[in-house]
Amino acid sequence: MRRIGRGLALVTIAPRAEASLWRRWRYEAEAGCREQIFVRYRSLAKAIAARQLSRRPAHGAELGDMQQFAYEGLLLAMERFDPLRGIPFPAFARRRIVGSISNGAARLGELDAQHHAWRRVADERVRSLAPRAPDAAPVDRLADVAAGLAIGVMLADTGMVEDANRGDHRPNAYESLAWRELHALLGSAIERLPERERSVIREHYEHGVRFAQIAVILGISRGRVSQLHASAIGRLRGAIGTIR
Amino acid sequence: MTGTAMVDGATLAETLRIVGADSAAGLARIDDLLTTYPDDARLHFLRASLLVGSRPIEAHAAFSRAVAIAPDFAIARFQLGFFELTSGEGARAIATWAPLLDLPEGHYLHRFVTGLTHLIHDRFADAVATLRDGIAANTETPPLNGDMQLLIAECEAQMGEPVAVGETSATSFLLDPLGGGRMLH
Repeated sequence: MRRIGRGLALVTIAPRAEASLWRRWRYEAEAGCREQIFVRYRSLAKAIAARQLSRRPAHGAELGDMQQFAYEGLLLAMERFDPLRGIPFPAFARRRIVGSISNGAARLGELDAQHHAWRRVADERVRSLAPRAPDAAPVDRLADVAAGLAIGVMLADTGMVEDANRGDHRPNAYESLAWRELHALLGSAIERLPERERSVIREHYEHGVRFAQIAVILGISRGRVSQLHASAIGRLRGAIGTIR
Repeated sequence: MTGTAMVDGATLAETLRIVGADSAAGLARIDDLLTTYPDDARLHFLRASLLVGSRPIEAHAAFSRAVAIAPDFAIARFQLGFFELTSGEGARAIATWAPLLDLPEGHYLHRFVTGLTHLIHDRFADAVATLRDGIAANTETPPLNGDMQLLIAECEAQMGEPVAVGETSATSFLLDPLGGGRMLH
């Protein structure tokens, strides 16, 4: 995503910048604006998800589930919002996000609760990393997937991810130096990824956004998101060396 | 301007009077006139000026329409670019302003555009010097000078220099081209 300079930031008027994003997305079909709007309000969705989780009786739902419902609500609100009506988007979106969480939590039965959002996310990753060379020996194909997933585990633990559901997986003192170096290497490799691949990695691992939702945000197919994910993981593997 | 049917001077003056007294009534009057004179760039420009504070998407459309109808309507083009600049669209503002660089180099709008381009690129000292040149050259649209003075103060603050703003803060011609308090809310 583009960063604006100090001079431009100095004269930018926030409500106008917001209106500009909506105008360019809705009326000028400019690529990237929908993603910028989602990123702008993602923290609102996460905050509402956390608040809703604390208010509801424990019924098996986890924060990851709530966040998925919140993102669904945010995306729905973005589609339905009429920027010409003069209603502030946060007020419009808040009701839809809460509604989406309520509906989602109601849908989440005992059985579903066994299959939490993070498990579904993990399933997506495995499918995305299915080897591109099906003729390869089974052990090699398995090694390919495992290596890709290992990168994913690292991404999830680099501190890029704020996963309130998991424990502290940081390494012990013996491992910490090598671990930190690896994280730094990975962090700089992520910065060098092509823009779309970087967006996929950040949204998916940093914010737990599912492939289907990333597809909506970026205006591409779910299959394409899966390809971008696999490509990015491949590049990151290359950047940090062979881990097989 | 290339418009075919344009509002006569007396009607335009009367419309401006209504706008000055009651912005909502003024906007209604402009919308009414636009049904008869859809290609009068001045009406679109006036409409945009009324909408900048409350309906920014429509304001941008109206500024754009004014410039599309009358590409040589310099102040409308400058305002459209400034609106884009303050919307965070620096590159687009520069593109919108490009024809204004065909004006003589000493023209105040040429100076303002050059100065604001320096500002977009974080060249604050150059921005200050060029905006000051523009202020000195501008006798045609004095309210613009107040806004440029404000921007100079902002630039100087970025440069760590003392800020000396005159009596400009109450008026923001560019942010509210018809003057404070007249925008629709």
